[in-house]
Amino acid sequence: MVNSKARVIRVPEYGDVSVLKPATVTRPSPTPTQVLAKVAFAGVNNIDLAERSGNYPTPAPFIPGREGSGEIVEVGAEVQGFKVGDRVAFLGQSTYSDYAAVDATHVAKLPDHISLETGAAFMLQGMTATGLVTRSYAVQKGDWIVVHAAAGGVGLLLTQLGHLLGAHVIGTVSTEEKAVIARANGAEHVVIISSGYEALEKSVSELTNGQGAHAVFDSVGQATFDSSLNIVRRMGTLVLFGNASGMIPPTSFMVLSGKNVKLTWSTIFNFITTRKEFEALYGEAVSYLERGQLKVAIHKVYAIEDVQQAHLDLEGRKTTGKLFLKIQ
Amino acid sequence: MVKSTIRAIRVDQNGDASVLKSTTIPHPTLQANQVLVKVAYSGINFSDVKQREGFYPIPVPFTAGGEGSGEIVELGPDVQHGFKVGDRVTFMTFGTYTDYAVVDTVRLGKLPDHVSFELGAAFLAQGLTAVALAELAYAIKKDDWVVIHAAAGGVGLLLTQLSHHLGANVIGVVSSDEKAALVRANGADHVVVIPANNSGSYEALDKKVKELTNGQGVHAVFDSIGQATFESSLEIVRRQGTLVLFGSTSGDIPPQKLTRLAAKNLKLTWVSLFLYTTTFEEFDVLYQRTLKLLDEGALKVQISKVYEFEDAKQAHLDLEERKTTGKLLLKVN
Repeated sequence: MVNSKARVIRVPEYGDVSVLKPATVTRPSPTPTQVLAKVAFAGVNNIDLAERSGNYPTPAPFIPGREGSGEIVEVGAEVQGFKVGDRVAFLGQSTYSDYAAVDATHVAKLPDHISLETGAAFMLQGMTATGLVTRSYAVQKGDWIVVHAAAGGVGLLLTQLGHLLGAHVIGTVSTEEKAVIARANGAEHVVIISSGYEALEKSVSELTNGQGAHAVFDSVGQATFDSSLNIVRRMGTLVLFGNASGMIPPTSFMVLSGKNVKLTWSTIFNFITTRKEFEALYGEAVSYLERGQLKVAIHKVYAIEDVQQAHLDLEGRKTTGKLFLKIQ
Repeated sequence: MVKSTIRAIRVDQNGDASVLKSTTIPHPTLQANQVLVKVAYSGINFSDVKQREGFYPIPVPFTAGGEGSGEIVELGPDVQHGFKVGDRVTFMTFGTYTDYAVVDTVRLGKLPDHVSFELGAAFLAQGLTAVALAELAYAIKKDDWVVIHAAAGGVGLLLTQLSHHLGANVIGVVSSDEKAALVRANGADHVVVIPANNSGSYEALDKKVKELTNGQGVHAVFDSIGQATFESSLEIVRRQGTLVLFGSTSGDIPPQKLTRLAAKNLKLTWVSLFLYTTTFEEFDVLYQRTLKLLDEGALKVQISKVYEFEDAKQAHLDLEERKTTGKLLLKVN
């Protein structure tokens, strides 16, 4: 049964976790190209933290949440291929909510053997990781790649994928516990970052005979940028996809000229702007999952009332794997 | 008999074309893995202008020029790769506007008999640059849409020819109708004229690209202009496309928030031929590929003017005033 109201978590203005407040809104209606999902689980991602803090161009007030899973309760008039009752995972907006209206382009039906938790856990991060190692930089067998935040949600998947594709993976993490997890997921070498990146630069230089890495996957941002430039090889690729430590200050592109380096900044949304693209990327990502080649690590499922704690935990860098909110 | 001093065009201090001075310097000596070449012709490149202006960290005084052709007259003791005295060669090194150039056996290639010294000096730096841009910086594929700025310049014309040869749809950008005709004759499918004294607006290019690509944009932009074109290049490249920067003739692009690339998941690179040719093997691969394209007629080098040695300054002025198309050479010996 569809309620006329939706409980949500709302951000009235940018700020720290205290701005995340429960509210009740009218249940949204899907547009002709959307479906309305009753949300079971909403993924908690770094982008949520960035939006909440005002580090992303999302205007406030807003309802956070870019990903979720649940059941379709309403189908827009022009939508094909979905029906009421379908179990789905989806990317969209405002998923910290009982009901989310999402574009049918970014909805995937979950086969019976994939749980709603796994569906929610895998969608954004699984597709992001797959997109990064195929479209941002096509990882080749024998490549040396550096994966920052190797024990994070996307980091763990990148590590697994890099290993799967035959690359030598050097992961960076912040604690010994995370190092163990990164190694268990296919990182050949792990560097624990305590203060500064000299140890990483030294390690990469030794491991690659001074040549550097073919690619560096960096979602950390400001803290790692200079070091990432140092450790990428001549003609290598720097794949940036986040600002977890803060925005990289405005930079001259001449910094690339010393090594003929390629720089790219990828967001998953630009890999899936059409249904065809979405199906292709989702299909690739989920087939790794279904073959057991990728494992999603779930850190914790939080009750919706504990959303502030979820944000604190993710910001505190204590987590490994996926965080999400149980909505219904 | 070997003279104890030789002629050289020197830069004693960075500045405009008037700082180029014809003088004499001591006959050079060789390191173990170097050869001495009696220079027949020196190529003239925009990078010579930038060097003269002090854009690169090269201490003054230095001999101008980075490319040439001639005959090997002396070998260092450790020279490898089969080079001999008497070999006709083409090369890139620091200091080529001079009678004798010292060349490491890295960016050095033997000229086939059917390639003249003029052509040898004319095709090397720009030819290899065009090949590196089209095959290493962004691998052009059949049916790709590409925009080439300064399409009538030395590298621009060769890149236009090569892109056409690789089956791309080529949009060339030039500053005059005469240049447009030349670029069309060299394989550009479309040409946009942005006059030099324009207010700096590239709207005409943006509009043309949108029309031609159904609003999608181009797969790659090859941009040696820098500041004046950057915003336009960001605008006209397609989602997941590549921006290949390889010069800044209009001035440096100001520092940017790197997240700007995220709007379209863009790839951006800044490349120089120098860094694609750090070993003899790397150089040789590009060199042989370029020779082959020349032989096949896929690349045609147009030498537009040969300057006398004493007229190096005029060559720089002509290049800076954007009056030239194709390749300029300095006749040395």
